[in-house]
Amino acid sequence: MSLPILAVNELAMSFGTLEVFRSVSFSVARGETLGLFGKSGSGKTTIGKCIVGLERPTGGEIRVQGANILNMGKKEFRKLRPKIQIIFQHPETSLDPRMKAFENLIEPLKLHSGLKQDALLKWGEELAELTGLRPEHLARYPIQLSGGEIQRIVLARIMALSPDFIVADEPTSMLDVSVQAQILRLMQKLQRETGVSYLLISHDLEVLRKVCHRIAYLDNGTITSIENIKRDVKR
Amino acid sequence: MSLLEIKDLSVEFSARENTVKAVSHVFFKVREGETLGLIGESGSGKSVIGLALLRLLPANANVSGTVLFQGQDLFSLRPSELRKIRGKRISLMPQNPAGALNPVLKNRLQIEEVFEERGIDKKEGMKKSLRLMKKLLLRDPEKLCDLYPHQLSGGMRQRLIACMSLSFEPELMIADEPTKGLDPEAKEGAVELFTKIKNDYGKTMLLITHDLDLALEVCDRIAVMYAGEIVELDKASKVLNAPSHPYTKGLVRAQPRNGLVPLSGQSPSRISLPEGCFFHERCRYSNIECFRKHPEMKNHNGGWIRCHFQSLQ
Repeated sequence: MSLPILAVNELAMSFGTLEVFRSVSFSVARGETLGLFGKSGSGKTTIGKCIVGLERPTGGEIRVQGANILNMGKKEFRKLRPKIQIIFQHPETSLDPRMKAFENLIEPLKLHSGLKQDALLKWGEELAELTGLRPEHLARYPIQLSGGEIQRIVLARIMALSPDFIVADEPTSMLDVSVQAQILRLMQKLQRETGVSYLLISHDLEVLRKVCHRIAYLDNGTITSIENIKRDVKR
Repeated sequence: MSLLEIKDLSVEFSARENTVKAVSHVFFKVREGETLGLIGESGSGKSVIGLALLRLLPANANVSGTVLFQGQDLFSLRPSELRKIRGKRISLMPQNPAGALNPVLKNRLQIEEVFEERGIDKKEGMKKSLRLMKKLLLRDPEKLCDLYPHQLSGGMRQRLIACMSLSFEPELMIADEPTKGLDPEAKEGAVELFTKIKNDYGKTMLLITHDLDLALEVCDRIAVMYAGEIVELDKASKVLNAPSHPYTKGLVRAQPRNGLVPLSGQSPSRISLPEGCFFHERCRYSNIECFRKHPEMKNHNGGWIRCHFQSLQ
């Protein structure tokens, strides 16, 4: 049995005297989608932010393929960073408004891959095709794009780094039903093709039941149960 | 008599050398006391209709058609006459309640401001608002007034906005995406809120939403929009439980509980709309006629539908 991509052990977080969550533990296997369900204000987003290193938890450990990221050196963590990505709830704030969609899309590649301009352009175009974007979308500024199109660009630029793990924080709560279905199915397709794992954070149980392998329920500051939905993931 | 009648409304935006057709040849009536829902995916032109009614669109919008409000043509009114209607007799609950409130002013001031603008005694106005807030399921409104908008939850902010837009007892209320981004609990609250507004105040409403559950609960009739056109218009239960138009069918199937089946492809570019039916590229029933001829709105089983093959379905 291989190590899980991500294992969270006894994670705890408080802001000052206010405890957000305590003894949160779960693990995610390669190619698995774990749902994280909770009401608004239950700390779902904070857990997601801890995993990608945007918040520092007050206790516990986060292991990525066995290595605890919380006591990692800066250099070591920087190497790991492209492999763990996050999609935020508000697509419109995720992109730089002054950059065109295509520049936004290839920016992470520029930073992390060291590829030449020609190769960048080619790869960018492939990614756009993979996520169902048309050339006309790529020449626009984020303000000229719909929520669904922006979420596709966000997905494309994340996939550029071939991540192992993506935290998706309410990726479709601002989108409408038909676009929501498109984005969630696209995420499933990318998972089948690349074996990426997701932590899908949502307050919509119907959505989670439809796309997750397992769902963790966050209530009263801790995980109360983990439910198996589909059993077809290789472990 | 219909309270609101929209005839042949079209809105285009000019962007450099191109024109974007946001809304084309939309017509519908809203009867007094009725709630009409406008549904459709983002970018289908729903919000533009709401803004066009109140003449709130930016200067590069090219609006044509007629909007009759109690027989009065809103598009030919002078600005001073329009101001007597806007916010007073027709009010708008804007999309995104968080963005609609001023973050640096306490809630009380924002409610008072509405009355100040109208030259009505603030104290009288506040009394009225507090009564309204109690009725609209806000607990402890006095305390709420002393807080800032960011200290309220999304659902509470929405109720506050609802109170503000109801404070002049408008004859028509336009609500734009009231449940976007709310969690399921707050969504249930929103259904309760709108049902209350409808029943207790007998308000005529134009409800712009992509939340099919909300639409089914609250609306009497529903107009489905696709690429700037109305493609189906009928009783709410009929449209959502037994849809006729292929696009509406697709929308219903995309709901998680109905299988989360996405529609194939994307909605067409609004700069160069396809020949024939705007939906034919994504339609499962598409036929040669759909490529050639743009379908007109037709009467179908008591409702309206824009499709060549409604008789076959």
